[in-house]
Amino acid sequence: MHDKTIRRRRAVLVLLVALSLILLTAYFGEARGGRLHSVQRDFLTVVSPIQDGANKALKPVRDLFGWFGSTLHAKGQLAELRKQNDKLRAQVIARQSDERAYATLRRLYHLDNELGVAAYHAVAATVIGESPNLWNKTININKGTGDGVRENDPVVVGEGLVGVVTEAGAAFAQVSLVTDSGIGVSAIINETGAPGLVEPKVGEPDDLLMQYLPANTPVSIGNYVVTSGTISSGHPSLFPRGIPIGQVTSVKEEGAIKSVNVQPLANLHNLETVQVLTYPPNSEPAQAARFASRLPAGKTPGSGAAGASEGQLASTGSGG
Amino acid sequence: MGAGASPSSLPWRVAALAIVVVFLQIGVVSEVPVFGVVVDLSPLTVAFIGLLCGSTVGACAGFGIGLLVDLMLGQTLGLTSLIFTAIGYGSGRLRELRDPQGALVALVLGAAAAGASLVGYSLMEFMLGVDAPVSFELLRQIVLGVIVDAIVALPVWAIVRRCLEPGLPDDPRRRRRRAYTTGGLSPLTRA
Repeated sequence: MHDKTIRRRRAVLVLLVALSLILLTAYFGEARGGRLHSVQRDFLTVVSPIQDGANKALKPVRDLFGWFGSTLHAKGQLAELRKQNDKLRAQVIARQSDERAYATLRRLYHLDNELGVAAYHAVAATVIGESPNLWNKTININKGTGDGVRENDPVVVGEGLVGVVTEAGAAFAQVSLVTDSGIGVSAIINETGAPGLVEPKVGEPDDLLMQYLPANTPVSIGNYVVTSGTISSGHPSLFPRGIPIGQVTSVKEEGAIKSVNVQPLANLHNLETVQVLTYPPNSEPAQAARFASRLPAGKTPGSGAAGASEGQLASTGSGG
Repeated sequence: MGAGASPSSLPWRVAALAIVVVFLQIGVVSEVPVFGVVVDLSPLTVAFIGLLCGSTVGACAGFGIGLLVDLMLGQTLGLTSLIFTAIGYGSGRLRELRDPQGALVALVLGAAAAGASLVGYSLMEFMLGVDAPVSFELLRQIVLGVIVDAIVALPVWAIVRRCLEPGLPDDPRRRRRRAYTTGGLSPLTRA
């Protein structure tokens, strides 16, 4: 009887481990349209309305916990933000005249057709789930293909870039955050236009790394990093130009290239509502995305063999 | 056995607990970071199911909860299942071999389960190939994750025990221990 129990216990363990390994190997080896991916997508399609309902029901609990954290955080930031606000107000006044001149010049040079956020249609979505994982930083939202959301659509909040849609079902979508280990975004330093590749730093959920900046690029702490709007091969997405990503917190020189630490502007820990930037099928962004998807695949997504110039980034880099 | 309950209700209790925990984790707990890290209730629940129900039930619950997490988060299928199966089986074997009764067992086991989950997941990710640069801060995050999970382990243990105990078959070893510590059957039983 005792031997039988031991045999049964071991058989169950071996069976479960074997099943896990088979699933792991099959899932990892198959394409995104494979059978297991389809099962996962179908499961999420069924579960997402329940998840949405549960999310709404549990919102008061989440808000209560969030309130404590936000209050403590807000008090610490108040003085700093007031100082920053005064400085920014002065800058805004000084730059208003520059902006007027710039708008005139822009019209003169027919730059209005350049790809920008205005070409996109923003779909507001509620966050209905979030991964607790250190490696896979993803959120689930309650809008899907039925609302025009498609894979590779950029996702933003008021402060800046949040991530990119990596899976889209009829009434849900999964968004990989910019801090997810599989994401890379082609970006520029807003003040100088220097291009680089923004990648997450696994283990540092509040930090991003902008790499492959030319060594002679002038970068200062506090500079803003925005999307470059270039097409790259690893991720066939095209973020519109100029979406704020983060602010430079430190600069590191490494021989011929420079890398900087970037703090994301969007609060990625407590997302409630996000906007998915969608576009009509034959619009300019759609054509650009089609062009991007035809580019040869990069070595590995996010590996980012980006060059030192924006032109090189556009053809070889990994990112959105 | 708890009054008014039968061991046949155990699988349903485990399944219901698993679903509630996974939904609660993804819907609420993941969105409220504590000291910069997210509390992960799933490995704690798996470990405590193993500690209460034994290695076979622990391993099955671990596999099921892991698969549910992978399905709901769109992660690589089988990855979390594999780690949680090991956690459930390990904690079940701990019960079968040692049957620890100390007040802090839940805390220590919770910390161990969280550590196993975080380290196991990181190792698997490394084996599958990481494209992003990995910072040494990952170690700090793992340590903080273990500490935060250990802090919530005691209340989680109390809830899991409360949910599952009425469905558990009476264990002769526990009955003997109770007789030893109370000098016989409990006053309620004698009455």
